[in-house]
Amino acid sequence: MAEPVHRRLDVPSQTSGEDRLLGMVAALTSELAVLRERLDTVERLSGIDAAAIEAFTPDAEAQAERDALRLGLIAKIFRPLKDALARSAGGNR
Amino acid sequence: MSHAMLPKASHDELTEQLFVRDLKVWLADQVEPQARALADKLDPGASSNARTETTYERLHEDAAFRDWASVRRASQELMWDAVDRSVARQRNALETTAAAAPQLGSLMLDPNFVLPPYLAEGDVHLMPGGYHVEDDGVGQGAVMDRGGAVYMLGKNGGFLNDGRGKTIVQHLFACYPDFQPNRILELGCGIGASLVPVAAAFPEAEVHGIDVGASMLRYALARARHLGVAIDFAQGDAERTRYENASFDLVFSATLMHETSASAIGRVLAESRRLLRPGGVAIHLEVPQRYETMDLWGKIRGKIEADYNNEPAWAAAIGTDYAVAMRSVGFADVVVGYQDACFAPKRDAGGFSDDSKGVFRSWFVASGRA
Repeated sequence: MAEPVHRRLDVPSQTSGEDRLLGMVAALTSELAVLRERLDTVERLSGIDAAAIEAFTPDAEAQAERDALRLGLIAKIFRPLKDALARSAGGNR
Repeated sequence: MSHAMLPKASHDELTEQLFVRDLKVWLADQVEPQARALADKLDPGASSNARTETTYERLHEDAAFRDWASVRRASQELMWDAVDRSVARQRNALETTAAAAPQLGSLMLDPNFVLPPYLAEGDVHLMPGGYHVEDDGVGQGAVMDRGGAVYMLGKNGGFLNDGRGKTIVQHLFACYPDFQPNRILELGCGIGASLVPVAAAFPEAEVHGIDVGASMLRYALARARHLGVAIDFAQGDAERTRYENASFDLVFSATLMHETSASAIGRVLAESRRLLRPGGVAIHLEVPQRYETMDLWGKIRGKIEADYNNEPAWAAAIGTDYAVAMRSVGFADVVVGYQDACFAPKRDAGGFSDDSKGVFRSWFVASGRA
């Protein structure tokens, strides 16, 4: 992941915590929007029902891809947390 | 490998649990180094007589640190929430499976049991209900078993979570090669994750385990039964058990001390000595961090664990001089060091040394003879 952006001004009267929280919620919502539409596409194309989803067990390759998807989601949504601490530690507040 | 009592996870429950594991790893690997760097920047220096406390206070003045601590705690809360809902969904099936277990071992509950004050003060690891909550069934034990395996990130023997028990066995092989225990007790056995592999290593021995919670112990009995191991479980306090003097050949604990209190640690050591027959062996296994060799961040991390993950005696447990403490309660030939984390104990494999290979790769062990 890239270094945190330099020159990132505070929004007056907003706490940095609120700022980060909003950043994370926005990222989360974007991920959810992508996921919902992808799921909708799968359902429309295949007619897979809930029982089939429960019965599905990924093979090793599929599991690795799913693990990567999950890690990507975490890294994206919680990136503001990491950037803020990097900024504090590095002095570029 | 798994067992019949382990709560199952639906498609979405499994994803929730994997998410918690990955979030924890990401927070530790990707963000914690920044928190450590911030602590170094705020360090008042070695001349300060309250270096750790001052740095810890200064860290809390920075919202970025507070947010990290907060999300870290949230990951733990998400974990228990996810596991708790999953166990509640399958509660009836778990009770049925427990009732259908082969009749091996036993359970003795104590209706007058008094919870140690350090456990009454807070739920260790933020697990709602703690080790002691009574649900008239096996529910809390199931939460602890499934949650514990997720909490260990799959690095302690997967869903069997038996790495610590196997490491105890390997320590016996390494340091007491001719020792053959006939009667074994674990103090603070939880759901039996460590006790089952010790019992399996000595199939001729009579094996006992005590802990504080009725639900946890009911689950432990059913779990051991389904794994084909006979263990006699009892509700009891590791500081003062009901067993007679000199009635065991092997008494051990596995990461118990840091969940007790500074004053309880010495009493648990003394109790383990009281229970041993002449020539018997006590082994106390703990996390591999040691306070005296820790850098500033290690000490800060200990305070974070104590404050935000309810690890009440973390600093006391890793700061105790076990060689001195065990000799003072009558142990002889005390050995203190690190046992390599072991998943397949072998006689002649050794693995005990003065050097830690790090978390999940080594365990701190103190042992001695009566």
